[in-house]
Amino acid sequence: MSPNQRLMVAVVLSIVFFSAYTAMFPPQQPVDTKNDIEQQAKVEQEIKTTKTVEKVTGHEISKSQKVESRDSNIVTTIKADDFILKLDTLGRIASKELLDERFRDSEDLHAQIIPDKGAKPLFIRFADESLNKEALSVPYVATIKEATIKDEPIKVTLTQKLSNLTVTKNLTFYKDGHYDISIKMSQNKRYFVYIGHRPEVSKKLMAAAGVLVYTADNVAHIIEDGDADNRETFRDVLVASAFDQYTATIFYNLDKDITVIVDGDSEKNPVLYFDSLGDVTFKGYIGPKEYKTLKAIDSVLTNAIEFGWFTFAAKPLFAVLLWLHDHIGNWGWAIIALTLLVRLVLYPLTYKGMMSMQKLKEISPKVKELQEKYKGDPQRMNAAVMEMYKKHGANPLGGCLPMLLQIPVFFAIYRVLLNAVELQGAPWILWVNDLSRMDTTYILPILMGVSMYFQQRMTPTNFTDPMQEKVMRFLPVIFTFFFVTFPSGLVLYWFVNNLFSILQQFIVNKQFQNAKDLKEHIEKKKKSEK
Amino acid sequence: MLSRNSIFRKTFLKFLWIYQKFFTYFSFGSCRYYPTCSEYAKIHFENSPISTAFYHTFTRILRCNQLFEGGIDYPVIKQIEIKPAKIKLEHIKYWLVPNKKNHYYIIKNFSYKG
Repeated sequence: MSPNQRLMVAVVLSIVFFSAYTAMFPPQQPVDTKNDIEQQAKVEQEIKTTKTVEKVTGHEISKSQKVESRDSNIVTTIKADDFILKLDTLGRIASKELLDERFRDSEDLHAQIIPDKGAKPLFIRFADESLNKEALSVPYVATIKEATIKDEPIKVTLTQKLSNLTVTKNLTFYKDGHYDISIKMSQNKRYFVYIGHRPEVSKKLMAAAGVLVYTADNVAHIIEDGDADNRETFRDVLVASAFDQYTATIFYNLDKDITVIVDGDSEKNPVLYFDSLGDVTFKGYIGPKEYKTLKAIDSVLTNAIEFGWFTFAAKPLFAVLLWLHDHIGNWGWAIIALTLLVRLVLYPLTYKGMMSMQKLKEISPKVKELQEKYKGDPQRMNAAVMEMYKKHGANPLGGCLPMLLQIPVFFAIYRVLLNAVELQGAPWILWVNDLSRMDTTYILPILMGVSMYFQQRMTPTNFTDPMQEKVMRFLPVIFTFFFVTFPSGLVLYWFVNNLFSILQQFIVNKQFQNAKDLKEHIEKKKKSEK
Repeated sequence: MLSRNSIFRKTFLKFLWIYQKFFTYFSFGSCRYYPTCSEYAKIHFENSPISTAFYHTFTRILRCNQLFEGGIDYPVIKQIEIKPAKIKLEHIKYWLVPNKKNHYYIIKNFSYKG
């Protein structure tokens, strides 16, 4: 392939990537065929002791659910400043609406954390098939119909009286979104308690969504949508969470020997539940994965915050950003402060690089000579040019390491912007009102492109390959298009990064010019003195 | 002994080939060395045991920053296998220049025609 063809391939690849990305970006709520009962029946339930296989009848409820509207079977409504939670006749948490203005769905309604269709939290299914059938037809009765949480938590008891079994769920709801629950059975029966399907408030490309099981050995097992091929079981579980980008339905404080099970539905999306016999007591949380809220409830819950496979780098970065935000009070400025911090760390490197670039300007005529000499032979030319640099102690290039180091920083910020609920709806100044979304006015990406162009102009470059020079000139345009769909916070990071490097370059250029002027001045003086 | 055609070796060489063909446009020709880090890696992966190749490539990338001078830095290899079928100038891919005992600089032959 000639350099021209290769450039074409590179450009075409970027365009393909870009258009695919834009096509997928507006978070499409997956069309929910998830609960097609017939398909659901395929999901099978292993029974530990006998290894017999039975159907997951738990999903058959969706048959009756299809006819019911969201509110018709509600037995209890619990209101708080931040949410409205509803319990239904199947003893499940039927819905939880977040009242915070930041959480709006694609139709601009308040976000509903519990998906409309699918297995819902606190649903109980019995291992005994006939018992199960009966349980689906007998409604739960609640002690209160409606209540508002002020400061004191609210207690609700749900009771289901079956022909020879009574199920009692004692629930205590707290203002901060968590609840205590104890389930009592009048007889020892084997049953399963569901967390169910993950919330579907928001899911963007690249943001992980699915199920997370955090075990006592400090491992977060994550099973994303479409990856639940086999049933997986976990013991010694500290946190079990079904999550989307910003919200989660969580069980915690589970007994050590409880087996938490992750099963796949017909689309291999994970469904989370645990296996129980007799009475059980645990805690739950439903709501946004806000670091401070979760930490205030129980610090073990912060393990439910994850940034995908890049968590190891994104988590510390998020900690720094959170700290900056505590002192500054605005996420936009916190990002700018972070940029400054990263640049300060890299300062010794960049400064050295910039100084040696200046030396390069001085030897550029000689380099041009070499380029003429070895015109048709780029490899030999490179070798000669390198020799020349070494002789003059100048090396214009930044090096592979700084380039490679930028990638994880950039990607970590991307993950944080994508996954941290704190940044959802976080404004900066002027037109930037949500750092986690793309800038619909296109001002930031264009500013970014322009700053990149100027940064390149100011940087003395030296290309041995004319083709490469052309690509470089074209790069700000390509980057602008790339950045259009990125979260504003990321574009802001890159824009400010460019500004800082322009500033630094400007200072270095000035210093160099001053030193040169001084030298010339002294030489002139010497001459005139002679 | 060098297993020349292991899957690992082939995979890495393929990966380097893709990188050199397409991604060098986006990495701005940033390398401070001759041969470049990717070329250096390629030569090592062609001629050294995988672990050695990894080690040298890794340390080379670590050295490739503004705190080091950069410039000319040829890979050095230990084992050599010379079974040339033809020994005309244009068939020779690399020159081996003795460094210390049993070690050789490996330098590209610019006249190599494949």
